[in-house]
This record gives sequence, C-alpha cells and structure tokens, in this order.
Amino acid sequence: MRLTLPRLLLVIAFLIVILVEFRTVLGFFDIAVPFTTAVIVGVVVIGALVLWSLLSSGEGSNE
Amino acid sequence: MRNTFVDAYPDQARFIRRVFATSFTAFAVGAFFGLIQALHRTDILRVVESPTYYTVLTGHGVFLVLSFTIFFLVGVYQWAVTDSLERRPVDMRFTWGWYGLMVLGTLLAAFAILAGFVESIDVSANTLFTFYAPLQGHPIFYVGLVLFVVGTWLAGADWFRSWLAWKGEHPGERIPLPTFMVLTTMIMWYISSIGVAVAILAFILPWSLGIVDSINPTLTRTLFWYFGHPVVYFWLLPAYLLWYILLPKLSGGRLFSDPLARVVFILFILLSTPVGIHHQYLDPGIAEGFKFIVMTNTMFLLLPSFLTAFTVVASMEHGARQRGGTGYVGWLRALPWREPAFTGMALAGLVFAFGGFTGIVNAGMNINYLVHNSLWVPGHIHTQVGTASALTFMAGSYWLVPQLTGNRLVGRSIGLVQVLLWFIGIVFMTNSMYRGGLVGIPRRTAEPQYEGFQYEVAAGSVGELNAQLAIGGILLFISAMLFLALMLLTLFNRDSEPVDNRTIPAPLSGPEDSPAVLDNLKLWAAIAAVLVLLAYTIPLASIVTRGGLFGPDIGPFPVTIEGSGSIELVRMGLEFALETVSR
Repeated sequence: MRLTLPRLLLVIAFLIVILVEFRTVLGFFDIAVPFTTAVIVGVVVIGALVLWSLLSSGEGSNE
Repeated sequence: MRNTFVDAYPDQARFIRRVFATSFTAFAVGAFFGLIQALHRTDILRVVESPTYYTVLTGHGVFLVLSFTIFFLVGVYQWAVTDSLERRPVDMRFTWGWYGLMVLGTLLAAFAILAGFVESIDVSANTLFTFYAPLQGHPIFYVGLVLFVVGTWLAGADWFRSWLAWKGEHPGERIPLPTFMVLTTMIMWYISSIGVAVAILAFILPWSLGIVDSINPTLTRTLFWYFGHPVVYFWLLPAYLLWYILLPKLSGGRLFSDPLARVVFILFILLSTPVGIHHQYLDPGIAEGFKFIVMTNTMFLLLPSFLTAFTVVASMEHGARQRGGTGYVGWLRALPWREPAFTGMALAGLVFAFGGFTGIVNAGMNINYLVHNSLWVPGHIHTQVGTASALTFMAGSYWLVPQLTGNRLVGRSIGLVQVLLWFIGIVFMTNSMYRGGLVGIPRRTAEPQYEGFQYEVAAGSVGELNAQLAIGGILLFISAMLFLALMLLTLFNRDSEPVDNRTIPAPLSGPEDSPAVLDNLKLWAAIAAVLVLLAYTIPLASIVTRGGLFGPDIGPFPVTIEGSGSIELVRMGLEFALETVSR
C-alpha cells in the first residue's frame, strides 16, 4: 500500500472538504458546477486515489 | 515505570473524571438536540412541532456552549493546575463544593428548559442561549445560571488559592505556563461575567419573578454581550491551552515559545471584554461612534490568534523535524497523523483559521450588516466553538482520559475516523450555513422558508444547501456518538498498557526569556478594567439615561406561564427576605 490507512483516510477527508469549498469558490466566479458533477468528480478522484494507494507498491509511512 | 496522572494524583484524577462525565453527558444531550434541529430546519424529518423547536434550540445552546464546554474547561484546568504546580488543591472539600454548585445550577437550568417539553409542568425557558429580554424564562432557569456561574468563580478562586500556596513554597519562581494560562483565563472571566451577573440578578430575575414590571432590553442586551463575547474565549482558551501544552508533545517536540504564549493570554485579558458591542451593530440606541471604537478593538483580537497560529505551527514543525521530517512542507508528512489526539487538534486549528476569517466579516461594521442574524452566524459559531473548541476537547480527551483512568485508549483507529468525520461534517454543515447566510436565510427559526419568495443562491439551490446541512448534521452526530462510545469503552477498559507518560517537555524558549512583568497579573487586570470602563461607561450611561434602568415599559414575550405556583412561591420568598433585610 502506497499510503498507510490513516493517511489515506486523511487525504480523502481533505479531498471531500476541498471539493465542497472549491465548488463554492467557483460559484462566486459564476462558474456553476452542478451537484451531480461534483459528486461524480468526487467519486472518481477518491476512487482513483484509493486504487493508486492499493495497487501501487511503495514503502508507505514509517510513522 | 508507568508515570500517568492517575498514578501521581489518584484523587484528582477521580475528580476530573467526574467533571468530564458531566461534560460529556451534556454533550450527548446537546448533540442529539443538534440533530433534531438540523433535520427540522431543513424539513427532512420533524419529530417536534415548530414551536417546540425553540425548546430544542435553547437546550442545544445551553447544554453545549455552557455545560459541555465549561465543565470540560474546569476539568482541564484542574488537571493543568495540579500537574504544573505539582500539588493538590488546598482544600479538596472546597473543590468538590464548587463542582457541586455547578452541577446544581446545571440541573436547575436543565429542568427549566426540558420542562418545556411537558405541557403539564408550567415551567419553561425557551429563551435561547442568549437569554436576554424580551424573551423571558422561568426564574428557576436564571437561578440555575447564577449558581453555575458562581461555581466557576469559586473554581477560579480555588486555582488562585493553589497558586498562592505554591508561590509561598517557591518564592521568586515564574508561574508555570499551564497555571499562568488558567489564572489569566479566570481574570478575563471574572471581569466579563460581572456583566451577565448584573443583568440576571438586577434586572432579568426580578422581572421574571414579577418583582419589577418592566425591563430595558437595550441595557440587558448590552450587559449580556459584555459577557457574551468573552464567553467565546472562555470556551476557546482551554483549547488554546491544549494546543500550546499538549500538541507540541504529541507532535514529538516542544513548545516553540513560552513567552509568546504568555503574551497571547495577556492579550485576551485586555481585549476580550471591551468588544461586546460588536454583537449589537444593528441595535438602535447605541451611537455609531461607540460601535466603531468597538470594531477597532475587535480587530486587535486577531493578533493573539495570529501569534497562536505561528507558535503552534512552529512547535509542530519542530516536533516533525525531531521525527525525521525534512523540507519546506515535507515535514508535515512526519507528523503523527494516525493519532486521533494529534489529528483532531490539528484539524480543529485549521477550521479555527477559517472561522477566524469569517469572524472578520462579523466584526466589520459595514459587512456585518450583510450577514447579521442570518444563517452565516451559526456557521461561524460552529466552526469556532463547535470545532475549534469541541473537536480539540474530543481530541484532547483521547490523551487525557487514559491519563485520568490509567486505561489504554480503546479504538484508536476509530478515534481517527471520528475526528475526520467531524471535520467533514462541520465543513458540509458550515459551508451550507455560510452560503445560506450570504443570501439572507435567517437563523433562529424553525421555518426559514417563505412563500412566494426565492433565495438567489450563488451556486446550487436552497434544497441542495438544506441537504448539505442535514448531511453535515448527521455526520456530526455520528461522530459525537462514536466519541462518547470510545470514552465509555476506555473508562471500562482493563488493559492499562500502553499509556503515554504525563511529562510535558520544557519549551524551546522558556519563561526566563521573557520579562517578569508578564507574570504581574494585578497589572494586566487593572489595565483590562480601565479598558472596559473606557469602552462601556458612556454607552451604558447613554442607554440608562434614555430608557431608564427598568426601561420604557417592556413586557415579556410569552415564553413562561403567568401565575405559576412555583413563581409565586419564589417571589414571596424573595419579598419576605427583602422585607426582613430592610427592617
């Protein structure tokens, strides 16, 4: 596993938060990201992260 | 050899466990009420009628921002004083006494609030946490609040007594930093809680008892907010204490600067109180000039927050580098992210920064008008007390409760999930609240929608904001329950290894690097008193001159039942006591 489970959870949490806040920021610049698009982007990005973490080899954390 | 707090001070650990149990009980009830509110407001699930929503709202506010936070504060401060002075209180009976008084006050206030659910009991206090006129609650509610606050005053006296006893045994020594933080917090609290004491004892309680017929709402609101802003720091400063004392240790390092920490707490003594009028920018009856002065004072409060951000992050970086971290930002990877105590506090600090930015909006006289009384304000308070304080308290408990019980923390990984859930939940909920507030969705209402009118949301729709708020509320509730379950399991865990030792490493820059005047508490208290007089004397004189002490005949908003037998009984008792004294 490329990332340890705690780090993976942490990164997922940050990704969700960034997604929610970034969509708001775009809204203030009149760039409307539909709710379903945001959900799909979130699922794809987090899914890719999980796959990358599970499938790629790495030393992971020594913490 | 194991060296935990409970090994060194078993009686103190027992006391603090009791205090934390009280705090967490209030947390459970308040969190449940929060869930009801989130689902009710968004019209997803309504288990109470809309008029009862205000009983729930009052309970949510009082149980969380008064009971949960302040009981946790007295528990942490008892730990901090005992551990840093390395001595027990002068008289443990006194310590149990103030705790008992706080519990009694809480029970009375809780009874008055919860009785609002029961029609057959003619007692209620749907006054919200900001219990000022014209909303009127049952006298029992106010008596409970008074006892609770007096309990905190006595707690402070207990800690000052411990310090004075220690000082006698250690002449010429600097005050240990944790005790310094406790004492400065309490000075701030003494100065600020005078406002609410006067508001309740001189005006609101006699009014609710029917001893006086009228009240001056502007006066009682001003007295409330005299206390109402510093109380925010009363919730926040125990979190600061944990960030300064515990977070560097958990990071693997030491506090960057003891002197900077002292300066920060002194700034809170000086600046916390003469700022309350910034909650009243839209109140008529207070001249704009005074509001402008208060805005300026408020902006100065950013300084201790910035100093804290610098000192705490520098301490974390030091810890990370001790753990092998390198690079400009690469050191972040070396931090102990798998520890819920560390991660929770670090995330709480991050959310606090965002809350600080939104606080600047609240504090600015012109842009405050945009968000005043809108859903923005609960968004702000949930990032601050609801996360900076609450998440820090929960995270801190993951380290403190094993110290107090000698039991290994149960479910460390679940603890990590718990703090991350809180982080996600609060972002979902407060993002929705901020966005809703910006388009004018009101707060403090069970029915935020109006017929024939649509809010112009910058992105998405009101329905989507509601869904986001409800999801956030549900995640927060699940997170709260997970936390309480882990605490309960840890309490009864028979496994006592491994538990961290209680030693707090010495700061990189110690008290010897700062001038001794920082420890002159009398001086800072005197300057704070002068600042309060400058900020409040003329506005209060102006309010009283115009409206009178007991106001222009303002009657109560009907949230209490007239002619209640218990009110009559209390009133007769007080009148008899007054007559006796006047003879």
